[in-house]
Amino acid sequence: MTSAANRIKPMQPAKKWRFLKTLWDQKWLLVMSVPVLLYVCLFNYYPLWGWRYAFQNLDLYTIKKGADYIGFGNFEWLFKEKYFWLGFRNTLAMSLINLVFGTLASVLLAILLNEVRSRAFKRTVQTVTYLPHFLSMVIVVGMAQNMFVSDGPINTVLMNLGVIDKPIWWLGEGKYFWFLVGLINIWKEVGWNSIIYISTMTSIDPTLYEAAAIDGAGRFNRILHVTLPGIKSTFVVLMIMNIGHLMEAGFEIQYLLGNKQVYDFSQTIDVFVLEYGIQNNKYGRAIAAGMFKSVIGIILLFSANFVAKKLDEDTLL
Amino acid sequence: MRKLLAAVMAIMMVLSCVSFAAADEKPITVTVFRGDPGDQPTEDNRIYKMIEDEFGIKFEIEFLAGDLDETLGTKIAGEDFPDLFDGGNSAEKLINAGALINLLDYISAEKTPNLWKHIEALLPQLVNENGELFIIPNYGINYHEQVVNACNGPAFFIQKQVLAWDNYPEIKTLDQYFDLIERFIAANPTNANGAKYEGFAILCEDWRHFCLINPVQHLMGQPNEGEVYINRTADENGKYAVETFIDKPYAKAYYAKLNEMFNKGLINPDTFTMTYDQYIAKLSAGTVLGMFDQTWDFGTATAALETAKMYENTYVALPLVYDEAYGFGAIEEQYLNGGVPNKDRGFGISVNCEYPERMVNLFENLLSDRWQKILQWGIEGVDYYVENGRMLMTKEQYSVRSDAAWKMANQALTIWESAPKKQGLQDDGNTWAPADQGEILQLTMSDYDKAFLAAYNHGKWADFFNAPCELAPWGEAWQIDKAPMQDDYDKFLLIQDQQLPKIIMSKNAEELDANWDAFVAEIKPYADIYAAFMQDEVNKLAAQATK
Repeated sequence: MTSAANRIKPMQPAKKWRFLKTLWDQKWLLVMSVPVLLYVCLFNYYPLWGWRYAFQNLDLYTIKKGADYIGFGNFEWLFKEKYFWLGFRNTLAMSLINLVFGTLASVLLAILLNEVRSRAFKRTVQTVTYLPHFLSMVIVVGMAQNMFVSDGPINTVLMNLGVIDKPIWWLGEGKYFWFLVGLINIWKEVGWNSIIYISTMTSIDPTLYEAAAIDGAGRFNRILHVTLPGIKSTFVVLMIMNIGHLMEAGFEIQYLLGNKQVYDFSQTIDVFVLEYGIQNNKYGRAIAAGMFKSVIGIILLFSANFVAKKLDEDTLL
Repeated sequence: MRKLLAAVMAIMMVLSCVSFAAADEKPITVTVFRGDPGDQPTEDNRIYKMIEDEFGIKFEIEFLAGDLDETLGTKIAGEDFPDLFDGGNSAEKLINAGALINLLDYISAEKTPNLWKHIEALLPQLVNENGELFIIPNYGINYHEQVVNACNGPAFFIQKQVLAWDNYPEIKTLDQYFDLIERFIAANPTNANGAKYEGFAILCEDWRHFCLINPVQHLMGQPNEGEVYINRTADENGKYAVETFIDKPYAKAYYAKLNEMFNKGLINPDTFTMTYDQYIAKLSAGTVLGMFDQTWDFGTATAALETAKMYENTYVALPLVYDEAYGFGAIEEQYLNGGVPNKDRGFGISVNCEYPERMVNLFENLLSDRWQKILQWGIEGVDYYVENGRMLMTKEQYSVRSDAAWKMANQALTIWESAPKKQGLQDDGNTWAPADQGEILQLTMSDYDKAFLAAYNHGKWADFFNAPCELAPWGEAWQIDKAPMQDDYDKFLLIQDQQLPKIIMSKNAEELDANWDAFVAEIKPYADIYAAFMQDEVNKLAAQATK
């Protein structure tokens, strides 16, 4: 006993000393991290205090006086409401469509651009494809609405090509809505999202390509065995991050492009929060729905990370 | 002598000080919020200058930017109230939140005779259950008589060229209306530029879905009560029977008619998904032959058509009803309602305002005949002239009034629109609104319209309609605040928004019947709750008004 105690005692000051020394060495890093820390506390942690409203009967008129606690009343209402579950389904569906097809499209675009020899052509295509990223969603949806009306250009082209024999009611049929949202998102974001893959590809050691070529790999095989493995870790990290954001299918596009005819397919949780919570002056419900969303988001993030770990890949956490 | 002079001077100085203080209170800047978007007046606006000179009051105006309910919510949560607070179409929120002061503490026959006379007769209808009044209606209080030159509210509309093409027929019923459109489109499938005509448009976007869900009550001979049909004769206990009409057989008849038109290709499915902007664009292009709407809702399209001199593409309002063959009896149309005070719409004075009495006095003074003339007509000799006692305008004087830039410099629009105002006739027989004055109407009417009216032997557009009926004791039922049953009300509307287009697009009679029955079954629980709520509210208001 005593010998053990004696052994530990002299260690402690040294350990403490070492910690303080490290702290002092890194003082400028610490100073630099203060604003970020403040930002996170102020905008990410402090609002969590507002979660208490989820258990209150809160509206505009009671916000000053303080509302009554009603237990899980808001959650009960939420879980009974048909459009909440439809919103949940639509959020997940549209997110998955965006994630799968959006990622595929941007990886594909990046690979194609990576194979292009002419720099001028590559630059032009890159600029043209990422420009829509800077357009406001209001404008993009307005364009889409004019393209997809029954007598609009899309139907005209399809009919002249003989693909369809009568106009498709794109904007009014629920079954097309997810597809339209996916398409618009890809059109808008494909160029932007491919930038990170392109930059990863440029950092792949060119000698790998040469070695593969010497070993007799053709273009396709070089893509398969050099390019793709080269972007794998970037891909996984982005995937994990995106899965954490699965509950955020976006808000603007569904709110703008949706209408009462496709309501069952266009309602996302975010739109639901606006329409059934904020516009109706039922803030408790809005916050309860938001909480639900956050909890699901955290679960998704950790599961994705867990799966990636199991697959022995780079993980985020 | 010198002493006397000094005394006189001293007295004069004191007197001048006193009179100065009495006539001119210290200048103040009043903050104003308007619950709708708008443009700031110019710095040198001459009417605001006059207000500032006379009352020492300047305005700092904030217009709505973004969503009204959200904006009001933020203001209420932060108790960030302007002095003059117009909550637009959600003013109930301000009242319920206790953001406004009770105006009746300041208004009385002795202190504010103009305001008192303005609201006295209507007071029982305007006050709430506790006898408080927070907002004086911005529109709808008429002096002498209501001037009705045209239908400004709901009606079925048809392009003038369609009536002219058929040699100006009398169109009284739904069937005549659709029959005419059908024949016209068969004879003229496209306009001169080759653009296809659309027979009938139904705007369904957001709150403007009244174009889809409201027409049935009018076809049954009722003015606009919103989503309920009210038996206008009370039962033996003095109670009025209220029912929702959308789930009744007499509503099915209308949607079945629309279904028939849809299957004939006169209604484009895009009509159910189009946005308001697309709707206005279509109307402005002159390719939509008819629609159910309210005149004010497509004013920009009318203005665009008139600017482009496409008078034949502008619209006439028609009061349609079901004909007897439908089996709902012989229905007499009653689209025009008596003057409806725009209850709880306009300026309230917020609890944060430091000088409520001065604000009430400002409205009192602005309601005087002299100021009403300045606010509505402008300055004599500049904006209008008087001939044999009639207030008149030249074509230039009138046309400049629709120029947005001119308005910002020469009218106190923002204040005038939300403040209590006089409408109807002046004591000398001139109208309060220049646009209502017969001579000015004639002056500004296009030759096409003059010939059109002459073909019908009508003097004005309102001659297509029966005279306005007397306003019911509950006002117009659509004005009733639905906040206490918001969840059920939203569902009630949502089911209509979703199902009615499906019914209209049914492929055949069997599908129509099936869709209709499914719709009635789905909406019934909510319709029952809504009807019961409205029945209570209508009778409460009626009892209050006759108290």
